[in-house]
Order: sequence, then C-alpha cells, then structure tokens
Amino acid sequence: MSTLRKLFAVVLACTLLLSACAALAEGETVTINFWHHYSAQSAENETLMNVLIPAFEAENPGIKVNAVSHEWAELHDKVLVSANSNALPDVARCDIAWLPEFQQMGILVALDEEMPDFTKVSGQLLDSAMSTAQIGGHYYGLALNTNSKIVFYNTAMLEAANVAVPTTMDEWVEAVKALSGENENGQQVWGWNEPALAGWNICPFIWSFGGALTNEDQTVATGYVNGPATVKAVETFAQLVQDGAITGFNSGDIPMTDGFGTGRYAMMLEGPWKSAELAGAYPDVAYGTAPIPAGEGGSVSVLGGEDIAMFNTANQEAAWKFMQFMTSEFAETEMAKCGQIPVNVAALESDTVKNADYAPFIEAIQTARARPTVAAWSEMDNGLQVALTAVVNGEKTAQEALDELAAEWDALLK
Amino acid sequence: MIQKSHLNRAQLIALLLPGFIVFGMFTVYPIVRLFWMSLCDMRFSSMLTQPFAGLMNYREVFADGTFWTVFVNSVVYTLVTVPGQMAIGLFVAVLLNGIKRFSVTFRVINYLPVVTSWVIASLVFRYIFNTEGLLNYFLWKVLGITSGNIRWLDTRWSGLTVAMILGIWKGIGWNMVIFLAALQQVPKDLYEAADIDGCGAWKKFVYVTLPGIKGTILFALIELTIGGFNVFTSIKMITGGKPAHQTDTLLTWMYYKAFSTGQFGYAAALSFVMALSLGLLAIVQFRMMRNRDA
Repeated sequence: MSTLRKLFAVVLACTLLLSACAALAEGETVTINFWHHYSAQSAENETLMNVLIPAFEAENPGIKVNAVSHEWAELHDKVLVSANSNALPDVARCDIAWLPEFQQMGILVALDEEMPDFTKVSGQLLDSAMSTAQIGGHYYGLALNTNSKIVFYNTAMLEAANVAVPTTMDEWVEAVKALSGENENGQQVWGWNEPALAGWNICPFIWSFGGALTNEDQTVATGYVNGPATVKAVETFAQLVQDGAITGFNSGDIPMTDGFGTGRYAMMLEGPWKSAELAGAYPDVAYGTAPIPAGEGGSVSVLGGEDIAMFNTANQEAAWKFMQFMTSEFAETEMAKCGQIPVNVAALESDTVKNADYAPFIEAIQTARARPTVAAWSEMDNGLQVALTAVVNGEKTAQEALDELAAEWDALLK
Repeated sequence: MIQKSHLNRAQLIALLLPGFIVFGMFTVYPIVRLFWMSLCDMRFSSMLTQPFAGLMNYREVFADGTFWTVFVNSVVYTLVTVPGQMAIGLFVAVLLNGIKRFSVTFRVINYLPVVTSWVIASLVFRYIFNTEGLLNYFLWKVLGITSGNIRWLDTRWSGLTVAMILGIWKGIGWNMVIFLAALQQVPKDLYEAADIDGCGAWKKFVYVTLPGIKGTILFALIELTIGGFNVFTSIKMITGGKPAHQTDTLLTWMYYKAFSTGQFGYAAALSFVMALSLGLLAIVQFRMMRNRDA
C-alpha cells in the first residue's frame, strides 16, 4: 500500500515540476499562432518555415511565430470549432470564400478600424484582390495571394479536329461540339471538362455571357441570377452537357487531370496549379492556354486565392506586424517562387513573376470577379449546384430552376 | 474490520472516479450540450451568442425537403444492408459450422473485408463502378452484355446500391463470427431429438437453430441497424452525396450542414431526430422478438 502511495506522490511531483518548467520557459517573448493550409510537404511550407518566419523573427525580436499546417477543409472546420471553445489562433490564411462566414461570426478584426496605418498597407496590394476582404464596408483581412482560371487546351486534339482556339463564346460552343465524339480507339471524348457545378465552375460562363448573380450591393438576386443573360449561359452549358460535349461533374466520370492528360477531355478551365500537376502526371501532353472566351460581358474569369486575417482574440500588435510582413514585397516575392501569385503590386513587377509559369494568369486576374462576399454564400452555392444539376439532367428548364433559385437566394441575402 | 471496509470504499471511489470522469466529460456532457445546441439558434451570425430558439431547429429539419430525401436514403440503406449481411453471414456460419477441414481458411477469407479500411474499400468500389471502371469493362468489352458504359455512380438509386453492396460485403464477416459463436451454443441433443422426430435440414434450421440463436439475432439486428444509420465513409468516398445531395445519408447531410454551412443548431437537432428514430426502432425490435416468444 505504502509503496503505491509513494509512487503516486512521485508521479504527482513530476507532473507539477513539468508544468512549472513549461510556465518558466515562456518568458518575455510573445508567441503568435498562425494557421494556414500550405500543405506540409509543399515548397510553400518550406519557404514559410525556413525563409519567411526566420526572417520575421530576426526583424522582430520578442515575437515568435508558431505556424500550424492544416488540410484546406479541415482548417475551415477547425476555426468554426475553435471559435466556440475560445481557442482561435492569432492569424490565419483563409480561403477568400471563408472570410464572410468568419466575419458574420464576429471573430475577425476590422482592420481598417483598428489599424491606423491600414490604408498605407492595403495600398500596396491589388485592388481586385483586396475586394475579397471587404464585407459590408469594412476590411477584415489583407489579400495574400490570388489566382484565377484560364482555358487549357490539348494542342494535338484541336489540330486534329481542325479547331482554332475559341476567343468568343459562340466559337467556344462550336469548338466544344466539334471536339466531342469518339477517338480512334473508339473511346468517347468530350470537348470540355467541368469537375463540378458550383459557382467556382459556372460563374465564369455566367459573367462572360453578361449575366450576374446578384445586384452590386449583394442584397437581391431576383432579376440577376434569373435574368436573361444568366439563363442563356446556363441553357447553353446544359445543352452542351446533354449533347455529350461537357462532362466531369458526375461521380463516375474520369478525373479532370487524368482525362485531360490522356486526351479524353480536349479543354478545361483551370488554375495555375494545373501546370505543375500536368508536368508531374502527364509530362508528354502538349497543351496551350488562353483567356476564357469573351461573350456579351467580356472575358471574365473567377477570382480565387487567400486572404490573411486576424482573429479578435489575437495579440493585435504582433499579429499586425506579421500580416504586414507576409504581404510585403519580400515575402510575396519569395512565395511567388513557389507558384503563389502575389498581390503585392511591387512583387508583381518583379522578374520572378514576369518569367513565371503563371504569367498568363496575371492578365485574367485583372478582369476576374470575386464570388459574392456574403456569409450565406456556401448555402447559395449549394442551391446553385442543386439547380444546375436539375437543369443538366433535364428535370427543369434553366428559367424554372433559376427562378426558384432567385427566390431562395433573396431570402438568404436578407 | 470497520476501518478496512472504509478503506475499501475509498479505494473503490478512487478507482471508479477516472472512469466516471471520462464517461461524464466525453459522453454525458456532450449529449447534454448537444441537446442544448439543438434548442439554440446557432449559425455563422449567432455562433458566439447562441440565443435560445426553442424548437426552431426541429421545425427547420422537418420542413426541409432534403432531410426527407436523406432520411429515406438511410432507411433504405438500413433495410437492405442489415437483412442482407445477416442472412449471408448466417448462411456462411451454418456452412462453416458443418465443415471440419479448411474451416479456419474460410473464416479468414470471410473476415478479411471486416478488417479492410473503409476508405480503401470505398476507393476500390469506386474504381470498379466508375463509368469507365472494371465492371463496365467486363460487361461491355469482355462479355458483350451491354452496348455501352452504364453510369452506375451518377444517379440516386444506382449510386446508393453501390454503397449498399459495399456495406453488405463488408458486414458478412462480422455476422459470420458472432453467428458461428451462437451456433456452437445450441445444444446438440436438440438436433438429435429433431432427427428422431424425422426433421429435414430446413426444418431443423427453422425450429431448432433459429430459436436457439434468437438472442444473437436480436443483438445483431440492433447493432447493425445503428450501424446502417451511421453509414458515412462509403457514401462520402463513393458518391460524395452527388448528384445534388440525392445520395446523401443522415450523417453525411449532418456533416455537410454543420461544417460546410455552419448550421450547428440544425445539425444538432438532426442528430436528436436520428437518435430518437433509432431508439424507437430498437424498442420495436425488442417487442417483435418478445412477441415471438409467447
């Protein structure tokens, strides 16, 4: 019995000692937690851990950065859960689509209100990218990196079908049709691949056709998402699906990269990451890139990317220093070397960027548009997918489905 | 003596306490908290304030068309996979119970799917049932039965069927093991008596074996019904709920509502609707079994 007690006492003493040591070690320095979704094995993470953070810590003695890598979807969920348990990080790299949700939860710091030098800092960043952080008149983040989608086309397939790279939406419809059918092995081929029916996929068509999702203030959808130009875009798209010229969004379809790499999909609209993916998996496929074909609304692609945001539990002074550092010319140029398209205007002018693989995307970014920056967007996006699924499956006409969607969105936007 | 019994009680409490604390913190508290969440308005705009909203979430669940779609999906999945894997599992168990050679080999073969990871099995099934997958290749190019690729994964019922086949395939081994154990408990003299009465194999199965393993059947039925309603990984991996949530089940829909749209209140209410349905089902199943007794 007594030996057991002694053992207990020893274990207890050890535990106390350990926690005391941990408390002592913290000392004077401030540690800020930075959550991001650069994948743990990526070049971006290497740059972050070995170049950027050491440089920041050397510049700012007394501030330590604890960077934690998450999976993209996991990071979103983790923030939601952590908000409830008061365990948020100081700073996070957020997909631009999450910002409105986090803002509505009331966990983000309105930077333009809290930071006296906000205008100076944001002035160094691209306006179109900064628009993704603007919600209801205030700015809740700094643009960190951006991207957009352009057309990738299989050179050999276009040549074989004697089809020119489409520059207008009318040409695009004809090209997609002409490139579909069967190849010499008797396999079905499709002129266009679209891996989902979400806003990220369909918005470029809606906008390029001259349509819109909501009004400018993002308060009304009726008359916009069911307006004539939007309906025409969706009708055109759905018709091509029904003609067997577009596929990719069904569960059983060939994955996008595989289908494009093996000559089953002739064209697709994709982001800068696709070049690296193709070089890795299908180094032999010859392809070209072009801007999205122009329609009544011009050539308008969709804006992606990330913002860096500060949570309201943060050590604001240290967090703001880190955010400024991450959007500085130095950090943005370093990240540009790993394929992150910078939003810092000075970094965009650098030779690194001008000679990069993603140079063709920079033009698309100038005219690209952001999806609605409203908290209900994920629900609206879901409604859009449900509506489009019904249209491409021929269960509803485009007008019917979009009329219903508009009513649903009006309620969500209130 | 008295002091010793005191000591025993103290020891008892000390030994039980960690268990109670863990059970309280990780089972009781989450359930109570979840119930409270289901009564609160909890979405992005009210995530931190969480005002009390009464039965609003429950009304929203029942008024939601997608809820009924996924509810029916879960019910169908359970109705098909539970009897399916129990019947095949029992069949295999009866066969194995009657053989002496290679018994272990067959047990291992039938049990392997159980220990295979759900993720890997789902991916393999996906490859088999893809539009350009193995099955279509066999049907079209090898056997020539079909004249083109069939889109197995792309519609509601065919997509769910693939998940159900996976569920049955993966469940046979578990059923086999517990039925095999139960079969060995049935007294041999009952079979001998039945032989003397002139019963054939089928009659022996119906009048001796089945009543003899009734307790195990009930246990398996309840466990598997709960398991059927809990299907998640295979749906998420095989169809991802596509097209447009038509192949979602209760859990994948709950996950989507909570983590993609931030409606934790709705998801909490949904989980209680599901728990209540399962509780009711278990009561019905117990009653049915008891009535057979009389």
